[in-house]
Amino acid sequence: MKRKSWQRNGLKPFRAGFCELILREDTMKIEWTKAPVGRRKFLKGATALGAAAALPGSLASRAFAADDGVLRVRAYGDAQNMDPAHSVGVVEEEVHASIYNKLIQYKPGREWDWQLDAAAMIEQADPTHVKFALRDDIGFTNGFGAMTAEDVKFSFERIIADATESPNKPDMGPLSHVEVTGEREGTIVLNEPFAPLWSIALPYITGNIVSKAAVEAAGGRIGADPVAESGPYLRASWEPKAKTTLKRNPDWKGEAPAWDTIEILPIDDENTAEIAFEAGELDFTRVSLGSVERYRAGVPNGGTLLEYPSLYYAWLGMNLDHPKLQNKKLRQAIQHAIDVPTVLEAAYFGAVEPSTGIIAPGLAGNRANSLIPPQADFEKAAALLAESGETNVTLKLDTLNKTTFTTAAQVIQATLAQIGITVEVNVLESGAFWASADNEDLQLVLNRYSMTPDPYYATSWFTTEQVGHWNWERFSNEEFDKIHADAYQETDLVKRGEMYQRAQDLMEESGAYRFLTHEATPVIHSAKVVPALRPDGLALLRYFGKA
Amino acid sequence: MLLFATRRFGLALLILIVAVTAMFLMIRAVPGDPVQIMLGPRATPELQARLTAELALDQPIWKQLLIFYGNLMQGDLGIDVFSGRSVTEIVFQQLPHTLWLILSSITWSAALGIALGAYAAAHPNTLIDRVTAAISVSFVAAPAFVVALLSLLIFAVNLQWFPAIGAGEGFWGRLNHLVLPAFAIGLSWVGYIARLVRASMLEVMGESHIRTARAFGINERRVVMVYALRIAILPVVTVIGVGMGFLLSSAVFAEIVFARPGLGKLVIDSITTRNYPIVMGSVLISTGLFVVSTALADLINAWLDPRARTAI
Repeated sequence: MKRKSWQRNGLKPFRAGFCELILREDTMKIEWTKAPVGRRKFLKGATALGAAAALPGSLASRAFAADDGVLRVRAYGDAQNMDPAHSVGVVEEEVHASIYNKLIQYKPGREWDWQLDAAAMIEQADPTHVKFALRDDIGFTNGFGAMTAEDVKFSFERIIADATESPNKPDMGPLSHVEVTGEREGTIVLNEPFAPLWSIALPYITGNIVSKAAVEAAGGRIGADPVAESGPYLRASWEPKAKTTLKRNPDWKGEAPAWDTIEILPIDDENTAEIAFEAGELDFTRVSLGSVERYRAGVPNGGTLLEYPSLYYAWLGMNLDHPKLQNKKLRQAIQHAIDVPTVLEAAYFGAVEPSTGIIAPGLAGNRANSLIPPQADFEKAAALLAESGETNVTLKLDTLNKTTFTTAAQVIQATLAQIGITVEVNVLESGAFWASADNEDLQLVLNRYSMTPDPYYATSWFTTEQVGHWNWERFSNEEFDKIHADAYQETDLVKRGEMYQRAQDLMEESGAYRFLTHEATPVIHSAKVVPALRPDGLALLRYFGKA
Repeated sequence: MLLFATRRFGLALLILIVAVTAMFLMIRAVPGDPVQIMLGPRATPELQARLTAELALDQPIWKQLLIFYGNLMQGDLGIDVFSGRSVTEIVFQQLPHTLWLILSSITWSAALGIALGAYAAAHPNTLIDRVTAAISVSFVAAPAFVVALLSLLIFAVNLQWFPAIGAGEGFWGRLNHLVLPAFAIGLSWVGYIARLVRASMLEVMGESHIRTARAFGINERRVVMVYALRIAILPVVTVIGVGMGFLLSSAVFAEIVFARPGLGKLVIDSITTRNYPIVMGSVLISTGLFVVSTALADLINAWLDPRARTAI
């Protein structure tokens, strides 16, 4: 029989609880029953590990020191897909615009304009034909050769091909095809005139040119990794949810980008981004509207605050199909009882301006004034309510569970109470909120849509065709639908602007809308950066300079 | 011991199945068309129909559940809708970040908590004990998100000792980036463990073997640190096992506040976008982590204390 160590040493056990106390003359040890060495080693190890962890390390040094040549910017999300056909918006476009080329790119500045990129020449030959010639110095990585007109044809036509199932297909509008007339020359052929070609289709997501050979070799679809790049930067690495790193493309023959490396950090929370900026870990970030006042007084580390308008539009909508909102006088009473400046002061910290519709300043179709002034007119509202004959009105107001919207909803609730309308605020999580098209009981809704720099994009959500999808007010107006269908073909900017202004008049006259704001895009940047921004404050990373 | 371990892991598997099934049903009870939310307003009807079929959302719930478990048996957690990458790859890419955060938090908090608790127990009802108690309770009471924000402002912005955001690169870089988040979510555990060790120590200090040790004239410090603490530390093992679950939930806000990658942030983002495959993959792994850690804690306890083996 195998003897235990203490027996071999002639010691006697003393039982104490669940352990055995082994008594030795010169010293005393506690040993546990069964596997004594393992347990002791475990406990010793655990204690040692704890002690080691408790020791102060040599980590209390400066955590981070900004390296020259590295630009660190914040994105509000993670760019997960390198296929422009399946890009979900700004976050991915920031990367795509740096690693791919387009015929034309947005021009940084305060006014919407474009500049040549991959195109050496581009011109509108007639309302449905656009001729282009490519530069001869742009090549794709991974051995896929020079960029040709075939690549342009492939890139544009795959966006509209049913097989691609691109959600960005509407941006290409009535594109018919691209005729290749030479190795680097071609003609974009439209089925009908399409004004947004120059403001959305070519300089934005769908305008990115990919390598035909590379995409076909990849089976027709690009996934999380680019198959061939051609821009001034290459995507060097992607750590999901942590960082996208862009490195200067050594084969880029165009104007050299200022930064060797760009690190794009996905940070959802604006307050966290602000702290990171103040800690010196970010060079550029959008900041919250609540922080604007503080940064107006001074940006830490010698940084600068830039305030840009935004293209977003927020409004209070009324469901025209709901039995409680059939009375137009009631809807008009609500329009007049909402004091927009008070809503903006409370919910947006006074950092934004009232809007006049769904089309922001700077775009064709922006109205100088709305039909109903932003200030509430409680007397008129009360009179309209009396005329409506409605009494004891109680309505439900749906809104997103974001502080800005819940605050705005509460202010609206308070102001409508002044004319005797009771509002119940219904706060919804984003998934449930964005499914409101299916909500038959939707009454009032505080809403906000994103926008691209063309009015066509704004009106597209309020057509009769969109009822049951994104037209939650169920606004249906033949004249509006006709304007939407005609205006994108109108190439006369003044005439086009007037058409969209009329469209917004129709929306407001229906009594279904109280326009609130286009919000704003306040950004801060460090002293070492010269940012290149679109007129709505979004970053054009490839053009960022050094101070 | 083998029988105990078998029964314990059997129970763990059952808990895992119940938890994952509950999550599967709950996410499908949330309002909103997941396909519409995932693909956005401009997805073509064909794409919506294809994704609906791919995710089996056109099937009855019970059938969806069977398909999920069927795929799981084959190690297939599905494909991410947005990036087209394997869910398994995505989840396991994020997992190490969360694991490191949890382990570092629990390690430093256990080390300091045990030291504080042992010191207080060795000096019961003295001023030192009362001060330690006050510190411990303060730590327990300090909301982790407040600690996180304050530590960011003090140590990252003002003193610039530690980085504010991200996970870092390389061993030392990653360790450096762990300091503030681990501090924020581990602080309340320091107080909790300290109180636990103190109470446990006081109980052990009254045991006969401690009296005997003292009777042998052994140095009081050795009696406390070696003989008493080794026994008193046992409840901490159980607490740490259960605490993994709480730390997993704390990791969610730490990952948001410190802009760190990790499972918690992945789950939140995926629920918001109704990315079902990622939600289920993340839930499966995080629930598995919790269940395995509690089972391991029970096993370690049973290994150390044979009386615990009759518990199941």
